[in-house]
Amino acid sequence: MPARNRKQWMTDPQLPRGDWVDSRVYSDPEIYEEELEKIFKKVWIPLCHESELPEPYDFRTATIAHEPVIMTRGPDNAVRAFLNVCPHRGMMIERRPSGSFLEGQPSGNPKRMTCMFHAWQFDMKGNCVYISREKEGYQDRICKEGQGLRRLRCEVGMGGFVWVCLDDQPEHSLEEWAGKPFECIREAIDTEPLEVFHYHKAIIGTNYKLWHDTNSEFYHDYMHYHNRVTGFNDEYFARKNIAFDHGHVNVSSFEVKYEEYEGFESREELSFPKFPPNQWYMVDLFPGMNFNLRGSAFRCDIVTPLGPNEVMIEFRGLGVKSDTPEQRRTRIDHHNSIWGPFGRNLHEDLIGVAGQGTAMRPGTEPRRILHGRHEDNYIHDEVGMRHYYDEWGKWVNRLPSDPTQAYKSPAAAAAE
Amino acid sequence: MSANGAATVEAVKDAIYRSCLLLDDEKWEEWLSLCDDGFQYSIKAFSPEINYDMIYFSADRNHLSTMTEQLPKHNTDHSPLKRHSVVYTVDVGEDGKTATAVTSLVVYQNMLDGINSHLDSGENHLFLVGRYVDKLKVDNGRATFLEREVRLETRRLDKGSHWPI
Ligand code: FES
Ligand SMILES: [Fe+2]
Repeated sequence: MPARNRKQWMTDPQLPRGDWVDSRVYSDPEIYEEELEKIFKKVWIPLCHESELPEPYDFRTATIAHEPVIMTRGPDNAVRAFLNVCPHRGMMIERRPSGSFLEGQPSGNPKRMTCMFHAWQFDMKGNCVYISREKEGYQDRICKEGQGLRRLRCEVGMGGFVWVCLDDQPEHSLEEWAGKPFECIREAIDTEPLEVFHYHKAIIGTNYKLWHDTNSEFYHDYMHYHNRVTGFNDEYFARKNIAFDHGHVNVSSFEVKYEEYEGFESREELSFPKFPPNQWYMVDLFPGMNFNLRGSAFRCDIVTPLGPNEVMIEFRGLGVKSDTPEQRRTRIDHHNSIWGPFGRNLHEDLIGVAGQGTAMRPGTEPRRILHGRHEDNYIHDEVGMRHYYDEWGKWVNRLPSDPTQAYKSPAAAAAE
Repeated sequence: MSANGAATVEAVKDAIYRSCLLLDDEKWEEWLSLCDDGFQYSIKAFSPEINYDMIYFSADRNHLSTMTEQLPKHNTDHSPLKRHSVVYTVDVGEDGKTATAVTSLVVYQNMLDGINSHLDSGENHLFLVGRYVDKLKVDNGRATFLEREVRLETRRLDKGSHWPI
């Protein structure tokens, strides 16, 4: 078809409705706020890994949907999560990204979370254990027993990640929520404790779903020179995208030929427990978390949406806690050569989604974004994105191909 | 310091500043010609988030050479990176033939095609902050790199880069 005039350009594609989305799902500020309320405040979000708070009294801070969260490890070794918000005048209690409460702080005692502002103190279970000049100010009207922190649902699992849910009554346990898509790598990541060895972050002017889309489709391997030369073989094209309940997807494995890329070596010598060498599985969890086990390296991406057109992505690399220094070094090299901030692929992926974000700034005219490749679920089939947006539509009650309309199943939309 | 020692320090500084210019100009092979055959390069950072001393990248001279040769085959952000560096210290070894130098480093990105070139091409922003910790050998007044560790403070690297820093 020659270049189109506006009317032609704006016409819906000759594809069923589930095969495309309207770009307003990526750029509308109202939809963005709704997503935080209706999705991010309702689902299990992995916030960090247990190895980031290895000792009793260690803590780690993060945010979900504007809300600051703190995770602590108690003297009983249990990891708990709380809103990182002081019940007195609302200050963020702990400002550091991580650390230990074993030592006292300028305003407070050892083994306590202390709000520096007026020195209220909390123990690792979130009990308020000290209010400065309590009786003098509050007499018996307020007492520390009633001033505990807001505790949050928190579970450690799926390779030792710390998952938090802002909803006190989540519809599903973590196992029900994420167990099935993780089955393919469960033994590899749950047989032995893991440890994080890599962390960096990116804040990109794009919608968080565009990052997840890129993690959910392999068609963009055309963008990666490295993947084209190491991957485009029969086994690669035999990989399948598999859809699971709750909008999750995983991608089955194949053998990567690393030696086809000059300067790279096979990853045969190092893998994960019970995981065959040079295999590569990908787990994409709704609404935007990705777990990527590629031979010797295990990567996890966690998105924190910051606006309709802004997202923070935290990148982690993990090894087995019992790695020898040589094994660890090999994992680090393998992780970085492709996925590090100076590696071959990650930079390209981020340029891709930044370019989408630039072309879909809030206020740009609605465009149709195609998710319509059907290849029997094989590797370049875009079923992962179609499956995701159908789930997304249910959570926000909007039709992805026209978000001004209420959700309809693809079958119902097609029948119209 | 002996006259010889002073000359060694000058040779080291000269090599470091030349390396910055060559890297700024993306003259990778010329940069590598300042490096010994056994040259080891790494980019490291300590993360207070995960409490781990991280290696973001590491390569020997051969690997750097193949990697930079393959750059044209990769899609990349072409916004040039420009270094501002000051050699803080040069410690000459007892043999007078090796030296360790610490250089304060700031890298600016001169926006070209990274985001929306219509708006931001020509703009500069801070890309990263860190130090070079270099080991060099000095022979006949010429300093050659044996090792370079780029020690980053920056851990929010956004799109990152395909290029050596
Ligand atoms: S705001 Fe925390 S003690 Fe006052
Ligand atoms: Fe990619």
